[in-house]
Amino acid sequence: MKRSRALAALGLAMALPLAGAAAHAAGESRCGVCHPDVRVAFERGVHPREGVACTDCHGGNPRTLEVAEAHRGSFTARRARKEIPKLCASCHADVARMRPYNLATDQYALYQTSRHGQLLAGGDARVAVCTDCHGAHDILPPGDPGSRVARRNVPGTCGRCHGDARLMGAYGKKDDPFADYMKSVHASALLEGGNPRAPECSSCHGVHGVAPPGVGDVDKVCGNCHEPTRRYFMDSPHHDGMKRAGLPECAACHQNHAIARTSAALLGSLCESCHAPGGKEVELGRAMLALYTGAEGEIERASDLVARAEAVPIDVEDYRARLEEARTYLTEALPAAHTLSAGQVEHFTRRSRSIAGEIGSEIDEKLHDLRLRRFGLIVFWFYALLTVAVLIAARRARQGGTPS
Amino acid sequence: MGVPTDRPAARERLLAWFERRLNLTEIFSLLSIYGLFYTELDTRKPLRQALREAVARPLPSYARWPRLLGLLAVGLFVVQAVTGALLAFYYQPTTEAAYASVRSIVRDVRFGWFVHQIHRWGAQLLLAVLIVRLLRFFYDRLYRAPRELLWVVAVALLAVGIQLELTGRLLTWNSLSYWSTTRGLEVVFDLPVVGSILAFLIGGHEVGELTLVRFYFLHVAIVPLVFAVLLYLSFATIRRVGLSPEADEMGTAGRGQYVAHLYNVAVLLTLIFAALVTLAVIVPAPFPGQADPFATPVGVRPPWYLLAAYGFQELFPTFVPHWVSGALLLLTLLLFTALPFVEARVPERAQGRRLVFLLGIAIFVLWGACAAYGFWLDMPRGGGG
Repeated sequence: MKRSRALAALGLAMALPLAGAAAHAAGESRCGVCHPDVRVAFERGVHPREGVACTDCHGGNPRTLEVAEAHRGSFTARRARKEIPKLCASCHADVARMRPYNLATDQYALYQTSRHGQLLAGGDARVAVCTDCHGAHDILPPGDPGSRVARRNVPGTCGRCHGDARLMGAYGKKDDPFADYMKSVHASALLEGGNPRAPECSSCHGVHGVAPPGVGDVDKVCGNCHEPTRRYFMDSPHHDGMKRAGLPECAACHQNHAIARTSAALLGSLCESCHAPGGKEVELGRAMLALYTGAEGEIERASDLVARAEAVPIDVEDYRARLEEARTYLTEALPAAHTLSAGQVEHFTRRSRSIAGEIGSEIDEKLHDLRLRRFGLIVFWFYALLTVAVLIAARRARQGGTPS
Repeated sequence: MGVPTDRPAARERLLAWFERRLNLTEIFSLLSIYGLFYTELDTRKPLRQALREAVARPLPSYARWPRLLGLLAVGLFVVQAVTGALLAFYYQPTTEAAYASVRSIVRDVRFGWFVHQIHRWGAQLLLAVLIVRLLRFFYDRLYRAPRELLWVVAVALLAVGIQLELTGRLLTWNSLSYWSTTRGLEVVFDLPVVGSILAFLIGGHEVGELTLVRFYFLHVAIVPLVFAVLLYLSFATIRRVGLSPEADEMGTAGRGQYVAHLYNVAVLLTLIFAALVTLAVIVPAPFPGQADPFATPVGVRPPWYLLAAYGFQELFPTFVPHWVSGALLLLTLLLFTALPFVEARVPERAQGRRLVFLLGIAIFVLWGACAAYGFWLDMPRGGGG
């Protein structure tokens, strides 16, 4: 087998300078004459363009149309699942060969550290191997929207196994991470919101070295994106307390896969799921919520006033910028709530309240000035009526008493 | 040339200086035809003497002041001309700059808001006065011979007044003005013949850059000119045939002299200006965002004076092509304009004239009902956009 692959590689090396032949390997090969469906799938992928031929993986003789001759020697129709990672690695772990493509070569090593790789090494062939995620013949780069490993397609690719209750049941797993993820704010951001940076499975679990983050690591994983929230969380009594209680930090409140969109309202409801109702922890949550909604109301009022002022119109460009500043402080108040310190939350809500309050009173003042125009009207009417009276009197005088 | 001083002798000299070189009486007579005098000035005499004579003439009954609607129209038109000229100093008629220039007039220019609001309310009042004037002519049968032209010109004045408002409305280029103009034009485009000609003149069925420039030119030059000429014609017929239904009412003794009319004019103009100022300050027009051809705001209607035409066309079920309802509308309007001539053909004895009068009332009532229906159609309703 080794020899045949070496020969094929040699043939490839000789063929490459002859023609810039993307189609060369597939064109020379006659395998597709009998296996047209496989050939079509293969040519859809990226490999034939880079000169990889059928025989590089399957062995055999590609130049003949005789079935027996073609399937001679090292030929293998279907590679054993257990062998696949090693087979792919024979090229993809080859630094010299991958260098021009600027591709990493550590996937095989990473795979061996993964849960998949460890189980495979233990003889369990049901776990995912390269072809389960990348496809066997029609392998596309992750940047291609049609690829199984394009970001938007990753949840579905993982879900093919991890959403399969029978397969997962065999490993004693009862939950359905695929269904849970699809309900999450992350899935709706990635799949509906069109946010290409929203996390899919591999963002938290790793790509080839895939493994679930354990207790004590969850906050690090989430903190990769939610950096300030993690910083505040690490300052809180929850950080050590949860570790002692064996609770998965962020996931204890926000779930692991079915992560819902958060709102300030959680401060008023979530605490009771662990702490006694009416206890001081629940009260603290309510207090932080009150701080938040107070500032939110102030911003609401200011923003209504800005809209009213704009309809007058008054120049509101500056107010809009300051309103944005107030909103930014308010946004920061929610991550700050993870410190479990009302003082920290108030630090931000107070700023946002004071900015919103300033905007409100300045606009109020300007609108009040506008109301003064109405007092001008009284003066105006006084003179208008005076004019009318003078005119009527003058007419009477002019007419010399004749009735009009 | 001497600067005029307070001394009467100097003023007299200046007047005489001009009098030798210009026929001031003739010029004054030309201006005063806009409702200031319903009586003629003797253009052979010097201005002072001609005025003194005119002012001392007996006052005709129709020049007493509840009936000076035409004069109010002239007053409002002058206000519109003055405020319009002031606005034109800052206004830029391009789709990029129009909205911002109006905003800077209203927001940044000293008293710009006042001029803008006066101009806007003046237009509405002008149309209202023209409509009331038409109603009064109708009620007092002032369309009968020899006053047919008075009626036709009054209808034409209203039509041209609507043109003025419609072309001016678009210029602010905000979301409400843009969309109400679009909705208004949809009504007009449905009229057969007239609609297609109009669509050609204003640069297509879509409201865009060309429409804005053409509307600007129409609004500041062509339409006001036509309006002024029609006003002149209106008063020219009044001078010739008088206003009151009975010709012999002209110059009845014991009703005072013409000079009272001049005081009435001054009082009325003061009051209408005061009303304008009050409206401008207490009910200022809102200032919505810039026009967006791709987003219709909620609750946009055709302009109020086109609501009736819009309601009328929407009365018909959808399988009736719009040109049919448009043609019916056009026919009704033509019939209405030709009212004096239609009535003249109806025999006087057989209560026919009474019927024509009732028909006229029916058209007015239908107009009001259609306007109410058109208003109701675009009521923002809960849930629906």
